[in-house]
Amino acid sequence: MSEIVYLRMKRNVEMIGLQAVQLRHIALISTPSQFKRELEKTTLYRISKEDRNIVIIDSFLVIDHLNSLYPGIEFQLIGPSQTIIRITKRKKAPSILIVSFVWLLLFIGTAMTIMNFHYDVSMQEVQQKLHYLLTGEQEEYPLWIQIPYSFGLGIGMLLFFNHWFKKRFNEEPSPLEVEIFNYQQDLDQYVSYYENKLNDNKPIH
Amino acid sequence: MIINLFINFIEIIIGLAGGLAVGCGFVAFLTVLGIIPRLIQLSKSQSLLRVYGACVIAGSIFGTYISFTNITWSQPIFVLVLWGGLHGIFNGMLAAALTEVLNVFPLLSKRIGLEGHLLWLLMAIFFGKIAGSLFQWMYFVK
Repeated sequence: MSEIVYLRMKRNVEMIGLQAVQLRHIALISTPSQFKRELEKTTLYRISKEDRNIVIIDSFLVIDHLNSLYPGIEFQLIGPSQTIIRITKRKKAPSILIVSFVWLLLFIGTAMTIMNFHYDVSMQEVQQKLHYLLTGEQEEYPLWIQIPYSFGLGIGMLLFFNHWFKKRFNEEPSPLEVEIFNYQQDLDQYVSYYENKLNDNKPIH
Repeated sequence: MIINLFINFIEIIIGLAGGLAVGCGFVAFLTVLGIIPRLIQLSKSQSLLRVYGACVIAGSIFGTYISFTNITWSQPIFVLVLWGGLHGIFNGMLAAALTEVLNVFPLLSKRIGLEGHLLWLLMAIFFGKIAGSLFQWMYFVK
């Protein structure tokens, strides 16, 4: 009777620098076999300079390699069918200068877009008319509407994003987090197709 | 007389057609931005979906009425503050939805590697909107 090894590939792995990729880095395995330790230490791939940022390890190649090393063991794959290895030089925090620049960019940018938007929809005129309609007095600068409006603008955005600095209003992910997750997933899907050597359509010599 | 009736009839057709087009567009716009689902999610009131639909329609018709009428109501300032505040919250959600749809944030976080500072950037937009709006109403237009 052959022993069964269950393999679950990890979806995303970050590795630092050029190193050998072992099975335990990219997959979780479950098996009654006494080879478990040995299996986990099996080297599958060596990251080289040509790999640059991303390497895709396809589960087919992993099983192929393991089969040739351990002929008596049966491998069963569960979970994702490839692992994306992102090679990072060293974790470095983005400089405070860049962060503050982006902060200022967003601050000025949003301030300008909201002003342009107000002009675009003639909000001043609408609010003047509204002020007249509600109170019966003509007022060129209906600040009693406009100042609460301005703060409401911020509150509305907070409600939408579900965040006030680190504090959240409830457990649900905000649309922003969902959007970032989706974007990441799209990227992953793209690279796992185009960076995967098995998907090359070139004829094999 | 007959010509007058005919012109009235054409006006009715034009008005109705214009209203239909604008109404469809407006609802489509609100739907695409996803403000209503977001509000439902926040208030956990899935069952009231029909009520919200009716609210949007009633609000649109009421808005149309006050943009064409010329009456006044002599309300206290409190009503103005409430009105402005609600208007702001709604517009804030609208603006937030637009920013998000444009995918500025996922790009920023990936490209420049600002994953850890995302909330600060969110606050930049938040304060930018308030500051821009206050600046415009209190200084810029005067």
